Amino acid sequence: MTEMVNEQNEKDVYVRAYTAMVLSRTFDKKIVTAQRQGRIGFYTPSIGQEATQVGFSMALDQKDIIFQYYRDVALMIHRGVPIEVILDQIMGNEEDESKGRQMPSHYTAKKYNFMSVQSPVATNLPLAVGAAYALRYQKKDTVVVATFGDGSTSTPDFHAAMNLAAVFNLPVVFLCENNGWAISLPTDKQTKVEISEKAAAYGMKGIKVDGNNFIETYRAAMDAVERARTGKGPTLIDAISFRMGAHSTSDDPSKYRSESVEEGSEKDPITVAEDQLKSLGYLNDSLIAKIKEESVKIVNDKFDIQEKIPPPEPKTMFDDVYAEKNWIIKEEEDDIL
Amino acid sequence: MNMVQALNSTLDHVMSKDSSVILLGEDIGKDGGVFRVTEGLQGKYGEERVIDTPLVELGIVGMSVGMSLMGVKAIPEIQFQDFIYTAFDQIINQMAKMRYRSGGGFTLPMVLRTPYGGGIKGGLYHSQSGEAYFAHTAGLVVVTPSNPYDAKGLLLSSVESPDPVIFLEPKRLYRAAKVEVPDEDFRVRIGEAAKPMEGDDITVVTYGSMVPTVLNTMKKNSVNADVIDLRTLLPMDVNAIISSVKKTGRVVIVHEAPRTLGMGAEISALISERAIEYLYAPILRVTGPDIPFPYRLEDYYMPNETRIMKAVNRVMEFR
Ligand SMILES: Cc1ncc(C[n+]2csc(CCOP(=O)(O)OP(=O)(O)O)c2C)c(N)n1
Repeated sequence: MTEMVNEQNEKDVYVRAYTAMVLSRTFDKKIVTAQRQGRIGFYTPSIGQEATQVGFSMALDQKDIIFQYYRDVALMIHRGVPIEVILDQIMGNEEDESKGRQMPSHYTAKKYNFMSVQSPVATNLPLAVGAAYALRYQKKDTVVVATFGDGSTSTPDFHAAMNLAAVFNLPVVFLCENNGWAISLPTDKQTKVEISEKAAAYGMKGIKVDGNNFIETYRAAMDAVERARTGKGPTLIDAISFRMGAHSTSDDPSKYRSESVEEGSEKDPITVAEDQLKSLGYLNDSLIAKIKEESVKIVNDKFDIQEKIPPPEPKTMFDDVYAEKNWIIKEEEDDIL
Repeated sequence: MNMVQALNSTLDHVMSKDSSVILLGEDIGKDGGVFRVTEGLQGKYGEERVIDTPLVELGIVGMSVGMSLMGVKAIPEIQFQDFIYTAFDQIINQMAKMRYRSGGGFTLPMVLRTPYGGGIKGGLYHSQSGEAYFAHTAGLVVVTPSNPYDAKGLLLSSVESPDPVIFLEPKRLYRAAKVEVPDEDFRVRIGEAAKPMEGDDITVVTYGSMVPTVLNTMKKNSVNADVIDLRTLLPMDVNAIISSVKKTGRVVIVHEAPRTLGMGAEISALISERAIEYLYAPILRVTGPDIPFPYRLEDYYMPNETRIMKAVNRVMEFR
């Protein structure tokens, strides 16, 4: 939600942002544990990217459209997507919006203007450009956002989308959630130049920002969103953070990574936020403890409830390939079920 | 009208009726497209609705998907089907799967037009027939007209389709024949084959660029053939094929694309699953060979009267 921060509301807005970060962190830790216990199939945590996502989300309006990637749980939580909706997708249960068809972390949340995550990275970027074109054509005052990682900037889709957005001067914001890695490959093996510098080559503004600092990310995002909304064209934001854990629950970073980023360390975006908000007088230790406790309760309770929801009916797997089932699918359905 | 004129006037008609229709592609504006299918449309509807895009097929398709998600009806043109492969991921993983992966929440009513096939001295990279790649992908609708009348009727149906359509235009038929195309709206239904010739002795199943070749061959050699023009490749009209096979008991399939794992393989399999007891002879395929499309020797590549008749005679004489 666009949070035009002023003296009256600053405390509320910032504490809300912090709470979303904590909830996201709690959620991620819970799901990673649940995955180890065999209760979840796979997961891509956002641990380390909470400040990037929440700071960015603060600059967006509820009507803005998000072509998100698989690591945007903090962004979803801050935009108001209920934990249940996220859990349903991860569990692939019968309440999942995509009916248990996609592997975990591939969210769809239409009501909240989150589109639908695909696995091939960066292929959401050209879609965001097309959506922005359409919305401008329809004279809507809507900004379109695409999120992706640093590794995704090597793809043809990234270059295509940046070029198209700039040529057509579209209201798009590209958010590179630069967590320093693409699975085992560090950013400096992915690209020879700073990601924000690439923007100049396409003729758009590039902003490099400390993605561990939600206030700075928010300011950069406000600038980009404002440019988009006022017809000044697209922006590429490179938000630098640290991936604090593994790429996914299937990944073992000890094979390729020597240093690690500890929770609670000065590189942890949540610690950074705590220090900021304490020095502003908006948070104290007891409030922090309360927020953390509450988030654990919320996540545990919701997990236990959603886990009991059964998988989708087998026959649903034949739905939604087309608006109407063709004879081929009807026959195959009869054959298999 | 020829097929180019039919397509052009149909696009014009669709754009005048529905302001949410947007065309995009390379050189489709002032130039009217390299085959002139969009000639004059930018002048009439402006640069915002007939978009000359940068040279990037994956971007054209990706943008079209994004537009369609927002309720704009995108009709992208890929200059030659051969260049679609750079956009293949967008077609297979985005276009085809959006409805499914969003549980029916997001739909893509878009039509991706592209000329395909040989016969215009285009060589390796301007002559490919890639229909099997698309027809192998659930979530897509694949159509190909063989004459100007069907081109209009199929295009109107495609624009109304709630699902993404790959609209394959046989480029060597673009200006091949002029036929009467009614001014008023009519539809050629998706999934419905045509039977441009009726006969009792043999069923010849074909589509797109090969239809006129097959018809001429049958007429010239006085073959009493049931000719089926599929028009839709996914989902194809299995009933039209099977009911004809039950009548004739003999089948030849003709297409320009290479034989291995082509449409002919699927048609043949469908027939053997459903009507093998009606067959008097093996099902034969007359297709392009499994080689890249050769420039100077393209006349040898494409199925012609001689090759088609050889197969027809073998099937007719089989005891
Ligand atoms: C086109 C494509 N190639 C390979 C993969 C496998 N893969 C999944 S995530 C990933 C790394 C992506 O890194 P980055 O874009 O930096 O995002 P991060 O996961 O670090 O947030 C790879 C290689 C993929 N999903 N898509």
